Amino acid sequence: MSRYITTTLASAALALVCGQVQADQLEDIKEDGEIVVGVKQDYKPWGYLTSDGELAGLEIDLARDVAERLGVELELVPVVASNRMQFLSQGRIDLIIATMGDNEDRREVVGMIQPNYYAGGTNVLAPKSVGLEEWSDLEGRDVCALQGSYYNKRVTQLYGPNLVAFAGIPEVTSALQNGNCVAFLYDNTWIESQLASDEQWADYEMPFETEDPQAWSIAVPLEELDGAYGEKMSEIVTDWHKTGFLIERNEANGIAPSPFLQEMHEKFK
Amino acid sequence: MLYPTRPTVPVKGHLPVLLPMRSTGEPLPLTDRVFNLWTAALLFVACAVALVTPALAQQDGESQRSIIEILLEWTPTIGSGFAFNVLISICSMAVGTVLGVGLGILQVSPLRFVRQVSWAITQFFRNSPWLVLLFYCILLIPFQIEIFGTEVPFPGWIKAVLGLSLPVMAYMSEYVRGAIMSIPEGQWESAESLGFNRAQTMREIILPQTVKRILPSWMNLYAVLTMATPLVSIVGVNDVMALTRAALSAEGRVDLLIPMYLYILCWFFIYCYPISAFTRRLERKFSVQL
Repeated sequence: MSRYITTTLASAALALVCGQVQADQLEDIKEDGEIVVGVKQDYKPWGYLTSDGELAGLEIDLARDVAERLGVELELVPVVASNRMQFLSQGRIDLIIATMGDNEDRREVVGMIQPNYYAGGTNVLAPKSVGLEEWSDLEGRDVCALQGSYYNKRVTQLYGPNLVAFAGIPEVTSALQNGNCVAFLYDNTWIESQLASDEQWADYEMPFETEDPQAWSIAVPLEELDGAYGEKMSEIVTDWHKTGFLIERNEANGIAPSPFLQEMHEKFK
Repeated sequence: MLYPTRPTVPVKGHLPVLLPMRSTGEPLPLTDRVFNLWTAALLFVACAVALVTPALAQQDGESQRSIIEILLEWTPTIGSGFAFNVLISICSMAVGTVLGVGLGILQVSPLRFVRQVSWAITQFFRNSPWLVLLFYCILLIPFQIEIFGTEVPFPGWIKAVLGLSLPVMAYMSEYVRGAIMSIPEGQWESAESLGFNRAQTMREIILPQTVKRILPSWMNLYAVLTMATPLVSIVGVNDVMALTRAALSAEGRVDLLIPMYLYILCWFFIYCYPISAFTRRLERKFSVQL
């Protein structure tokens, strides 16, 4: 029996040692014939689950296009804000296309592909009856938010709301509608698409100026950023902007036209 | 059976008599268990919810689908997620049981050092939060391992199985240790007198007798483990909770949150209740008759 324990311990140790990722991931992907992309499954309409259990949305379209251009199969792995970067650095996924904002802290962990493919900012969704006007109105009020969002820290420091963080959007929206908080701190792109498309938000508004514009990036492992893989991805994103593919997919998924996409299209045309 | 009755007339100089305390060990008849005041109340509430909620929902707009309809539509997806939870629970239970029995036997080893080490391992995993162990397993174990040049993939759910089997192992180890200790000393002595060595005694005489003592706790542990499997959604495994959350966000309806989670709760209840009911029956069957 002690031999059994020894074997178990030895294999656990082996497991810890052999976790190295080999260089030149692009070759590996092509060799495997499959690219594994981490996407959101709870961020409609960027990435969501249909009732058949299939993933759909703007970012899934992008992932499909990447796979098509590389000539490989696509495997989608649902990720959330709190685990996507770990999955990438562990090698569980090859690429993140999951509404990830590009910032300095994250650049130290993952390789953010330039140019950015999308952009959003910070705003809140609040009932009209609360009558919020300025960001400073949030001070000392209960504000719902999502765990792992980058703007939580910034807004707390600047405006001092009492932040109540939840694990998923359904929980937050439920808390907001039940009056557990006065506003939901989130991405303006999501709020706009909700206000425009869903009747249940008829009595709600996006009261503030959108702040802290944040570009979204697709990401590869940090050590691949300057390699063939990173360059290939950068090329693909540039081409998306150039050909208007992003604008077209944005519209096809029913998202309000994005000024950022227009601007990038003009720039690369 | 006739019990002595308490003397009704006070007799001078009598001493208080301690009458035996009896708990009602008789099982409730099945009909009483299924149809009683509580189940009736529950059924009533369930009916009320089922009837009232769609009616409320329909007030918002005629075009909206009823909640029942949405739940039915998502049932295949959520069902597949639930099957995944069951798979994870069965695998963790299997791994945890095998390791736990081994560890439990080591806990009664004649070698002091082995006893101490296995005791320490048991206590460590028995007293650590399940979620923390899961986090360690998910984040520390790489997603694939290279053994002799071949890459063995190590998906998240297998890591979750490992993470959940650690506490199962520790609990199992304690059950086994306790059961072995509870076997009368005479069994060891008679085995020895018949020329069995320690391994033979353990394998052929002691362990078979522990099975019936461990079985009820083991099944209880399985029910608890099954109900703990939604934890794996936090560490990124696409289980029933993760899928439910995705479904809720795809539907984008706030009034769906409570019915949807209630629906998942029903799935777990329907799966776990027979197990715990069966466990109680086994417990009665194996209860020590004095």
